[in-house]
Amino acid sequence: MQVKTIVLAAVLSVGPSLLHAQFDFRVDNRDVQVHSFASQGFMYSNDNNYMTMPTSQGSFAMTDGGVNASVQLTDKFRVGAQEYLRDFGRMGEWHPQLDWGFADYRFRDWFGVRGGKVKTELGLFNNTQDNDSLHTFALLPQSVYPTDLRDATIAHIGGDAYGNIPIKHLGSLSYTVFVGDRRDSKFGGYSLMVQDRGITISNYGGLQYGGDLKWTTPLKGLLVGGSHLSEVVTGTGKTTCNQAKASVNCAMWTAMTNGNYEEYSKKAYSNYFFGEYTLGNLRVDSEYRRYWRDQAVWNGLWAVWSDTRGYYASAAYRISKRFELGGYYSRFTCKWVSGGIGPNGPATKPPSLDTSLPGNHIYDKVATLRFDIAKFWNIKVEGHFMDGYGTNQSPDGFYDTTNTQGYKPKTNLLLVRTGWSF
Amino acid sequence: MKNLQIFLIATVVGICAAVTASAGDIKVIANPAVGASSVSADELKGVFLATKTSLRDGSHVEPVLEKDGPVHEAFVKEYLGKTDAALQTYYRSLVFTGKGSMPKTLAADAEVVAYVAKTKGAVGYVSAGASTAGVKTLEVK
Repeated sequence: MQVKTIVLAAVLSVGPSLLHAQFDFRVDNRDVQVHSFASQGFMYSNDNNYMTMPTSQGSFAMTDGGVNASVQLTDKFRVGAQEYLRDFGRMGEWHPQLDWGFADYRFRDWFGVRGGKVKTELGLFNNTQDNDSLHTFALLPQSVYPTDLRDATIAHIGGDAYGNIPIKHLGSLSYTVFVGDRRDSKFGGYSLMVQDRGITISNYGGLQYGGDLKWTTPLKGLLVGGSHLSEVVTGTGKTTCNQAKASVNCAMWTAMTNGNYEEYSKKAYSNYFFGEYTLGNLRVDSEYRRYWRDQAVWNGLWAVWSDTRGYYASAAYRISKRFELGGYYSRFTCKWVSGGIGPNGPATKPPSLDTSLPGNHIYDKVATLRFDIAKFWNIKVEGHFMDGYGTNQSPDGFYDTTNTQGYKPKTNLLLVRTGWSF
Repeated sequence: MKNLQIFLIATVVGICAAVTASAGDIKVIANPAVGASSVSADELKGVFLATKTSLRDGSHVEPVLEKDGPVHEAFVKEYLGKTDAALQTYYRSLVFTGKGSMPKTLAADAEVVAYVAKTKGAVGYVSAGASTAGVKTLEVK
């Protein structure tokens, strides 16, 4: 276990007894609120290694945390920022990043604007997926919220318009429309996936725009909604073009590009549909996500088309002040086609459209027990029973370089995670 | 023996009554600068879930909560439709996405009344029997 992990875990174990509340201070007669959160996890799997960690031997390489400060400057105007870092196997690698930082002006309850780096409102949990304390589950359903693809959706540098509109006798609508630039970390799942093919991405991102609409219905406890995200993404980097892993003829490609790699979107979008029902201590959630990606890779010589669909249904019940039980069924499938572009392009590979193949799906059955040791401190014990290992066209938790022995069709995983928030 | 049974039942009922409250046992109070004298249930919910920052009359408002106890639990259940755990999760989701702040939270009725009295726009709740000197009571419609 890394020294950093041990030190952070020790500090976070002692910290809760000393810091049991948020930290506020005043500047120029205004309250500045400071909040923080952190989590530490342990994973153990029976065969396949998961999330770039050596989980088949047990791994503690699952740590994250963040701290924010915000202030309400006037009744309508607030500013704030949050810094975040994580180390999930080879992802994150402790590199801190600005998680969000923006100015927010609320003209009316039905219309406000935000500008800066803003968490993206998609689905029920996209913008809160990093905060362990906010969720019953130690790992959100990966069919809809893949943690290794976090960078793709977590935030945009740009702006939002948002508001809440009451509809007499029909509940209320909460809307967000956004536009901005997505900028992936070099330590995210997609960069790691293509690294396995000898490509080192130095820059990945581009334009994102879309919206989210949530309807709090007149039926008490029921919320439904939908979200859409469109994007135009470009990636650049370098490769030495290993012919065993490359999709193109390396000699021809290197002569054309001198090792400078580029890929770009031809069409890419995601649609989400979701619903949540709460009744007392019971909460039921369900979401569906479709991610369509048509990408030109290898400097336009090769194309990859993938249709990724995921959905889950979950239930959680707080059985007492300190204990919560939960479970979900998550289903991820991916169909893909790849092939050469143009008359001089290399031969097309056979399409992979059969989602019954273990390499084209992950079906995950999960059971969780959450114990709230204190209001600011929880621990979760979670079991995952996975069928399939996904696809090499989209990061999905299973990576070739940490599974050099090949994949077994099923993975059972134990996840224990403790989290704090102040 | 029969008297003992009656005594025990009365004691249990008394304890239960002491630790639970209903909407009828709660007063919603506001700083005197708040223009409205009444508020709809939907408006009140919006204020405490941070989707509304002003009432229909244009008064800017901000919520003040009690930390815990039967009045707090009854208010959260009856007017916000949530459990305390769910409400705390909701506020934290606003804080950790930058879309809101943790509301002021105070330990007891007297502290809530004192804070609401001195803070322009503050809206809170106390037990029906609490002294409300210096604040106004809002009728919830």
